[in-house]
Amino acid sequence: MRKKECVAMLLAGGQGSRLGVLTEKIAKPAVSFGGKYRMIDFSLSNCVNSGIDTVGVLIQYKPSLLNRYLGTGAAWDLDAAWGGVHILPPYATQTGGEWYEGTADAIYHNIDFLDGYDPEYVIILSGDHLYQMDYNLMLDFHKLMGADLTVAVKTVPWEEASRFGIMSVDQDMRITRFAEKPKEPESNLASMGIYIFTWPVLRAALLADHADPESDKDFGKNIIPTLLGQGKNLFAYQFSGYWKDVGTIPSYYSTQMELLAENAEFRLHDTRMHILSNFNEHPSHFIGGDGRVEHSMVCNGCEICGEVYNSILSPGVTVEKGAVVRDSILLPESTVGEGARVERTILNENASVAAGASIGAPGKITVIGENAVMEVDV
Amino acid sequence: MNRTIGLISTNYSVPGFGSVTEVRPAASIPFGGRYRLLDFALSNMVNSRIQTVGLVTPYFYRSIMDHVGAGKPWDLSRKEGGLYILPGTVFGFHEENARFLFRDLLHNLEYLRQGDGDYILVSSGTLVANIDYQPMIAKHELEGKPVTLLYKKMQPGEKRPGRYLTLDGDTVAGIRRADEGENLLLDSFIADKSFLLRMARDYAALDYMDFLDILAHVLPEVAVGCCAFDGYVAFMDGMEDYFRASLDLLDSSVRRELFQSDRPIRTKAHDTPPALYAPGSAVKNSVMTAGSIIEGSVENSVCFRNVRIEKGAVVRNCVLMEKCVVKAGARLENVVCDKNVTVSEYTVVCGTAEHPCVLAKGGVV
Repeated sequence: MRKKECVAMLLAGGQGSRLGVLTEKIAKPAVSFGGKYRMIDFSLSNCVNSGIDTVGVLIQYKPSLLNRYLGTGAAWDLDAAWGGVHILPPYATQTGGEWYEGTADAIYHNIDFLDGYDPEYVIILSGDHLYQMDYNLMLDFHKLMGADLTVAVKTVPWEEASRFGIMSVDQDMRITRFAEKPKEPESNLASMGIYIFTWPVLRAALLADHADPESDKDFGKNIIPTLLGQGKNLFAYQFSGYWKDVGTIPSYYSTQMELLAENAEFRLHDTRMHILSNFNEHPSHFIGGDGRVEHSMVCNGCEICGEVYNSILSPGVTVEKGAVVRDSILLPESTVGEGARVERTILNENASVAAGASIGAPGKITVIGENAVMEVDV
Repeated sequence: MNRTIGLISTNYSVPGFGSVTEVRPAASIPFGGRYRLLDFALSNMVNSRIQTVGLVTPYFYRSIMDHVGAGKPWDLSRKEGGLYILPGTVFGFHEENARFLFRDLLHNLEYLRQGDGDYILVSSGTLVANIDYQPMIAKHELEGKPVTLLYKKMQPGEKRPGRYLTLDGDTVAGIRRADEGENLLLDSFIADKSFLLRMARDYAALDYMDFLDILAHVLPEVAVGCCAFDGYVAFMDGMEDYFRASLDLLDSSVRRELFQSDRPIRTKAHDTPPALYAPGSAVKNSVMTAGSIIEGSVENSVCFRNVRIEKGAVVRNCVLMEKCVVKAGARLENVVCDKNVTVSEYTVVCGTAEHPCVLAKGGVV
């Protein structure tokens, strides 16, 4: 039987409730980010750039836009004859249907899918992180250490350590302890939610976990502690590059604003960056005779007849005459009407600000949905 | 079942483009920030629900093949139909205004024969227009004439060398070459497949001629219909046309018509990041494209992907193709920069609005 060395499983079913109106209609990995991307683009591009050509995308919450966006996977060169992108929703069986109850449960329900590729390794990814990473280096590390499970970790400031899953390691990077959001962390190595499992080990662990009625069926809460308790070979792979979790409105906003900085850590224009997306249908953008754009990123399909400062404009955005946009993120196909003032605002996809309206204020982030307004203090 | 198949000819030279067509066929001249001229012909075909398109290539077809690949961006990479690359013949002799070399048709009769289409829609590969061919196809089917020609009514006094139609109601009474006239042929027609096959049989000895010239000769015996197109059209007979059409894109009504969302012009995707505008950049009345980094000033211009305008540089009435770099303090006015041109610090290059200065691909000034 044909084998794949490594198959990626991308967890994209989460609601992302902390993003409020942005995920009212779409799943978190489908949320627009950095102008012409959706969050899932970063992990998908990492897969392709690492030579992983088989990706299962686990979906559950509001998947229609995500499904349409992924399409055949051709935009990421993932429309392979054997492999490619597979959308994996919860499904019905002879005994009824079940939702994915946790991250591990989602993989459990797709054991048949993985068996079909008979992989040696499975890499588990999230669809809502901003980073560029060569998974091959992590896989090499996993093989070199003879690991059953390798967890990618990132050093975080000590004062933030209690917000993460924290790994304690010995001098060989062997994981000795795992603590989920510890009050008094004994290490500052945070789990990035990226796991490489040797498939037979994961397979056995998923079957055992499913049989345990007490389990939350979650990688962090259940699978990792259990394997650790069984004395399996768990290692931490230290990643030194840029990595951000963008799961809250303040981090979603500030992470994108940082892309504009001259000395940005994550530079979209770096020639070594290769981020693929499925936003390539729009014509070039247009800046009108009275338009002004400074310190901003603008995507194709935009029409700007007003002023835009320190902002990010996604594909197909319209800024009408006399409007002034500052420190804001305008998502795809949104419109700012004539003479409107928009400040520190996230304007959701297809949303519009009426002519002459004044939105947003310093000290908080205003989020405008199609039918809802939300304010977040920072 | 779709009864019409397409044929696009790119096997002709346009003498007015100078250095721009030394490195590529006219059909693959970059246009409008992120397109090539050929994208309009290809998109018009697929937007008119034609799913089988033959592309007649010139002998130096590298840039065309690089661009169209297997036809995926136009949904032409398919099991049934799709894109057919048809080798064009090497020019026997060079003739201005030739578009559809009869020989190219004769050499590719297999393409006509194999499909099950009844009609063949033929267009050139260099016209910039967003054309819905469906009304013309419907008119052709309804009237039952073997050929229907697409034309545009010209403004009085408008000069444009080409083929002009003499019309007798809905029938073409004459086709003649002229510098101006009333009804200009848009280098596009639809014909019955059986008629083309018959012409191929009867006139094979005239293979060196343009098909339209042969058609002009047989006009008395053949009923030829016509269909008017009254939308925006940019002819591409040379650099002046190109420059004017590029700056036409600054007119929002032209942009809206050419790039309408229900009949999009499709092109090869490049996955460039958004355009980045630095503090202090000043861009007015310009078409700009993703991947660019703008620190200087741009006015009344069209900039393609991955253009870099450094601090203090001033670009006015220009077309800058992909990957051009205008270094700090340089000034460009009425200039067309082909791909990968670098303009050095504090260098000044000026053309005139009628005759733009053209900087050849890859050059450093």
